[in-house]
Amino acid sequence: MAANGNLLISRNFAVENMASIDVALKNGAYDQLKRAVKMKPEEVTELVKASGLRGHGGAGFSAGTKWGFIPKDKFPRYVTVNGDESEPGTCKDRLILERDPHLLIEGALICAYAVQAERVYIYIRGEYFYPTKVTAEAVKQAYAKGFAGKNILNSGWSCSVHMHNGAGAYICGEETGLIESMEGKKGWPRLKPPFYPAAIGLYGAPTIVNNVETLAFVPRVMEIGPEKFAALGTPKNGGTALYSLSGHVNNPGVYELPMGTPLMDLIHKFGGGIRNGHKLKAVIPGGSSSHILTAEECENLPLDFESVASRGSMLGSAAVMVIDETVSIPKLMHWMVRFYAHESCGQCTPCREGCDWLLRLSKKFIDGTARKRDIDDMWELADNIDGKTICALGAAVAWPTKSYLVKFRHEFEAVCRN
Amino acid sequence: MPWLEIDGKPVDVPAGMNLIEAARLLNVEIPHYCYHAGLTVVGSCRMCQVEVEIGGRKSIAIGCNTKAADGMKVTTKSKAVFKLRRSILEFYLQHHPLDCPICDDAGECDLQNYYMSHGLHDSRVALDEKKHKHKVMDVGPTVVLDSERCVLCSRCIRFCREITGTAELGIFNHGRDNELLTVPGKQLDNDYSGCVVDICPVGALTDKDFRFKRRVWYMKRTASVCTGCSRGCNVFVDWEIDRRYKDPERRIQRLKPRYNRMVNEWWMCDQGRYSYHAVDAPNRISTPRVNVQGNGHVPSTDEVLTRAADKIQSALKRQGAGSVAVLATSASSNEDLFLLNRLFIDKLKVQNIDTTFGFEKLGKQDEILKRADLTPNRRGALEMQIKPSGDGQSGDDLLAAAVEGEFDVLVVVRHDLSAALSERDLTKLRKNTGYILYLASHDNGLSAIADDVLPLAMWAEREASYTNFQGRVQRTRKPFEPRGMALPEWELWQLLGQKLGLAASYDSVPAVFDALGATFEGYKGLTWDSLGNSGKMLITAPDPVYKKVQTSQPLPAY
Repeated sequence: MAANGNLLISRNFAVENMASIDVALKNGAYDQLKRAVKMKPEEVTELVKASGLRGHGGAGFSAGTKWGFIPKDKFPRYVTVNGDESEPGTCKDRLILERDPHLLIEGALICAYAVQAERVYIYIRGEYFYPTKVTAEAVKQAYAKGFAGKNILNSGWSCSVHMHNGAGAYICGEETGLIESMEGKKGWPRLKPPFYPAAIGLYGAPTIVNNVETLAFVPRVMEIGPEKFAALGTPKNGGTALYSLSGHVNNPGVYELPMGTPLMDLIHKFGGGIRNGHKLKAVIPGGSSSHILTAEECENLPLDFESVASRGSMLGSAAVMVIDETVSIPKLMHWMVRFYAHESCGQCTPCREGCDWLLRLSKKFIDGTARKRDIDDMWELADNIDGKTICALGAAVAWPTKSYLVKFRHEFEAVCRN
Repeated sequence: MPWLEIDGKPVDVPAGMNLIEAARLLNVEIPHYCYHAGLTVVGSCRMCQVEVEIGGRKSIAIGCNTKAADGMKVTTKSKAVFKLRRSILEFYLQHHPLDCPICDDAGECDLQNYYMSHGLHDSRVALDEKKHKHKVMDVGPTVVLDSERCVLCSRCIRFCREITGTAELGIFNHGRDNELLTVPGKQLDNDYSGCVVDICPVGALTDKDFRFKRRVWYMKRTASVCTGCSRGCNVFVDWEIDRRYKDPERRIQRLKPRYNRMVNEWWMCDQGRYSYHAVDAPNRISTPRVNVQGNGHVPSTDEVLTRAADKIQSALKRQGAGSVAVLATSASSNEDLFLLNRLFIDKLKVQNIDTTFGFEKLGKQDEILKRADLTPNRRGALEMQIKPSGDGQSGDDLLAAAVEGEFDVLVVVRHDLSAALSERDLTKLRKNTGYILYLASHDNGLSAIADDVLPLAMWAEREASYTNFQGRVQRTRKPFEPRGMALPEWELWQLLGQKLGLAASYDSVPAVFDALGATFEGYKGLTWDSLGNSGKMLITAPDPVYKKVQTSQPLPAY
């Protein structure tokens, strides 16, 4: 939990009993909502747009731009908070939900005001029992103080806040899968186009789906102003981010750092270096679905969306997994493929059939029954899934698989029988 | 109207049409499993991927969910697209049980077809790696499900949700264990359940009625029309009479719905689908019969007709037109009713004649296809004015009068009066009536007591046209010859007419129809050749709007 001076969302994480509204109010909660409801809704959107705040759920899409996609004359509108944090390696949203739920509620309500939504749904993954409990209690308190419900802060605008739990599926983190799940259906992502739920979302209404972290940033953007927020990070990447650092470092944890913090700084300065003096082998920079980076590729890499993309990977949810020299990449791949084979929703064929097939092939490398042909087969299968599916999660298994096979081919060949 | 290029050929398509349909206009097939023009688009099979170039940008898109746009260049046959489909097909065949030799769908299966056109690869999956799912599941009264063959295209699920609204099917379990099953506690039991077999692109859903009966490549196909109710769904008759080692009496193997946008779209009801069993039912009448003085003697058709003509003529001469009654039926075709009209109404001036009776069974009517009126041609009977005139009695009064013995000669077409009357009334009718001529295709209580019985050819044994409730005239075609000595009804009327001085002598159904067209107002301008495959509206009937089309897709005829 250690971090440097530029704290935005994690500022109050250490405050005792921050989930209680009295403590939260003493620490400035809902001040920005009070400011926002006195502004015009479009001004709030413009302000967020100007700050360069980007989505922290994975795609890194500009939050303000997304809000601007809402069709002018379509009502009702909804705001959905995506708290289905399921990507292996990612563990930042639960901290917000547990330690400062009022910040999220405030951010979601500001967003709802900006797009004039009448309802906020907070969708939290089913396994998060404690975060759900804390957040649900916080919502009740917000209602009691008049921050949610009818005629919020005498602005004449009403917005209700609802809690919704997933049933434990990775796919429900995909925004249209999440919407289907909330509608009471199987969490199968919707066919695109329409590309954005902002046009046709929950119950067919315009819907903003934003990650927990993204919305939690909104009050802070209003507080320090868009210029100061943008100045914190690199150009095009405003503000800070919660980096979930895990793997073979001495101090794993969630760190709030400015966007563009060098990867090596994160590992060595904040993470305390690789455990037991081992050598760094590779880093997965943005959750398990991103391309793996070799140790050489990690040098001089600022952690922002564009820089990571320029190395052929993605920052995604900023879940940095550090892998040291003791790790066998074929085993790592088997672990990764097993996750995706288990979580594939089964709606479209390449992912449903392909993940299962990849799993069987990757098992061969563990069992020692693999042949060299299997390396090429796996690459080809992954390529056959990549980009051929309804949602982006087909690529989520294809990208890492392909990058492991290409960048660490020698390790695969070493365990082949011929 | 977007103008685009598909495989280098330019085509103009209606706005909003997707690429699969647009390609169909050029007779280019884009392979697909989950897309069906009558159902919503889910885009899950990924088989219909094509290369789309628009504004200089090339991308891969699925044909079902990509709307044709101006200036689009679509490539369906490039090497890259071919490889894409091949890879998807390989995913499908990964766990396929390869039981084509015992699969009813073999020969009309899209897995087979696309394997021949795209795959032809050796399996990279070892036999013991294949996953097993449920086989031979009895999911309802008409359908058997084999989950291993299923490609999870969800067409059947969408059919049961969007068309029938019964929602009996669903995909259960997660990811690679996905399986098509019935909803717990439910059976696939609705009035249109057979349609899921038609739309299943593979052999996962098979028809109990057709299972293991014939290989599809042995069958011949005839475009026809269902005569089970007044809608007249367009059908294909699939028949086979050469390989009769099994079910030698079964000539029709199955009926399949035939697309007609204005009548039945892609669907037909189960009642119509299995109605073909009547054609080769054991109680078919195949020879003329004399019941009263017959003593086992099998008369010729001519013998019976001569006697009938005698009886009719002498009754008319002795007691006038009131002594003859005809219980006709709207189950007869336009041609039958035309000659019936010419003979009894025009020539003999019989007044006691009608087609509509209270005892006729009504069916269940719904919003989809089924009509309560179970006769295919009531509209035709109306147009041809088969109704009582002068002092003639109508409907139930006519029947009651017959029971009371008011008629000397009674001609009954098809109606099973033994089901309509009590046993006492039937005996009374028999005792009170001098001569009963019965024209029927099946044995029943009346055929046992009528004086003379003449066998009728059924719809599959003759050509005919019917006018459905909308006023659409549609024709059936003749797959095979009538059973035994059975003849089409119009031929019998013509032969009888010739003995009674009627000048009519038509040599074929088209000739009758064309004469009909020249005689009756509604049929003006219609000729046999103009009916074509999808029928023509009567000029007196307004063009009907069949019903709301369920999809946003425009529906081209194909």
